[in-house]
Amino acid sequence: MSSIATSIESASRERIALRQVHVRWLIMLVVACGAIVVFFPFFWMAVTSLKTAPEIQRVPLQIVPDHWFNLSNYVEVFKREAFLRYLLNSTIVASIAAVSSVVVSSLAGFGFAKYRFPGRDVFFLAIVGILMVPFQSVVVPLYVWMNELGLLDTYAGIVAPDLVSVFGVFLMRQAIEMIPNDYIDAARIDGASELRIFFLVILPSVKPAIATLLIIKFLWSWNEFFWPMVVISSPQMKVVTMGLMSFTNMYFIEYNLLTAAAVISILPILLIFITLQRWVVQAVVMSGLKG
Amino acid sequence: MRQWFRIAFPRNYLDRRKRAGFLFVLPALLFFGSVFLLPLAQSILYSFYKIAPGGAKEFVGVRLYEKVLTDSTFWTAVGNTVQLLLFSVPVTVVLALAVALGLNRVSNLKWRNVWASMYFLPFATSLVAAALIWQWIYEPVYGFLNYALSFVGIPPQKWLQSLSQVLPSLAVVSVWVRIGFDTMIFLAALQSIPEEYYEAANMDGASGMQRVRYITLPLLNAQIVMVCILELIFNFKIFDQVYVTTQGGPAGASQTIIGLLYDTAFKFFRFGDASVMAVFVFVTLMLVTLLQWRLFRKPVEY
Repeated sequence: MSSIATSIESASRERIALRQVHVRWLIMLVVACGAIVVFFPFFWMAVTSLKTAPEIQRVPLQIVPDHWFNLSNYVEVFKREAFLRYLLNSTIVASIAAVSSVVVSSLAGFGFAKYRFPGRDVFFLAIVGILMVPFQSVVVPLYVWMNELGLLDTYAGIVAPDLVSVFGVFLMRQAIEMIPNDYIDAARIDGASELRIFFLVILPSVKPAIATLLIIKFLWSWNEFFWPMVVISSPQMKVVTMGLMSFTNMYFIEYNLLTAAAVISILPILLIFITLQRWVVQAVVMSGLKG
Repeated sequence: MRQWFRIAFPRNYLDRRKRAGFLFVLPALLFFGSVFLLPLAQSILYSFYKIAPGGAKEFVGVRLYEKVLTDSTFWTAVGNTVQLLLFSVPVTVVLALAVALGLNRVSNLKWRNVWASMYFLPFATSLVAAALIWQWIYEPVYGFLNYALSFVGIPPQKWLQSLSQVLPSLAVVSVWVRIGFDTMIFLAALQSIPEEYYEAANMDGASGMQRVRYITLPLLNAQIVMVCILELIFNFKIFDQVYVTTQGGPAGASQTIIGLLYDTAFKFFRFGDASVMAVFVFVTLMLVTLLQWRLFRKPVEY
């Protein structure tokens, strides 16, 4: 009697298990298809950049390029526009933004996490409140001031509003809070000054947070478009995102060149991104800020 | 006041330590003060002045507010922005949630990472590049989308060049760019839900759907609210994608609020009008953020 019951039970269990396997494969399939759809524009950009102008105007459309190693579009991009200069400009601006962000944010994070001084909590709340102020709401006065300071069309002008972000202060404060106070006190007993403690105790213990902030800030700064459009007017000061714009106009767009330029603009950031993705994901998850 | 005096002129070790703390945060305070707070105050001030291109200012009270807020161009731009929001925010959040739930069920870690990376890649791309790639896909004659649709018998569409299709088409770009970001937030939240909850539900004979409905979604409540607000803010400030593809066209059908602000300030150099719009954007987003804080008060219990 009981053996029949168990055999029925095990049979139904097997069926459920089998169904679960099916469901799992189905989910896997849907997730994979979605990923391929999301990835497709990158693929399409890459193959278009390898085609010639007549090739992309073929009807019916042809997916693969005639020659996989046709790099003439890339050569043409560098010939027609000062694209190397744009890459250099973006690199300079994004590096300054990333480094200054780390320096100022970790100093502030240390101050907020490990010291007590009058007004500390009010100041911190005020900084978090800055998240509510969209950059576009302050852009007109910033432009006027940059003009008065003679910083329009300079690196200093592009990078100025980008030097620190609220996210950075938030991230560094969070990370520094984790450091045990005993370490700091031990350094104090040994006679270290507060600044020495910052450099020798604090900074080495928050390397992961620093890496995260460096990467995410570089990425944001590299992709910036609105502010550079406002401050930059001369061709040699353009950043990469503006350089891309040079290949479009209202009437006629050479998509083979445009996609090649897009590949050039995306590739450096994508390589950084893929190799260091762990840190970026961490940053995103940390607070999903940068409203 | 006395406290501040003692920090300025420390008498003992503890005072000096307080001063050190204050000095550490000072650069950040100066930066945010001069790059956000002062200009914000200045924006509000500007919105009451008529500013000639030469720089001459004339106080006009609320005249500019009357002018901008009764201008149909302004409200068309606001309407377009809201329409874009209504297309892209729900789609992004629902798709991201579905993708995160799916990824969470992929038990092979290597494959899960591969798929997750693919969803996440557009996040690293600049909005400018993203929009231009999509513009090429949308191209009416040589574009891939019309080509693909021809296989299911749909005639060529004009997408970005069509009055009725331009907003949904732009919304798709926003969805594409943002889906990975939202997915990552959801996925991290899903992985922090204790396994025992699901085991208990299994004991009670809950189906897969029931587990999602009664365990996962309620526990994800906080993240869903947060992501919705973030998407709302992100899409309200939409500019790059529109500016590089349609520049607000055709015939103003995709002009957004920030696009109009940019044109007003930096094409026509009407700083006063632009400042009114800046104040409008600030106030709207502040209300949204305050709403977020209210909603966040509700604690989620694990």
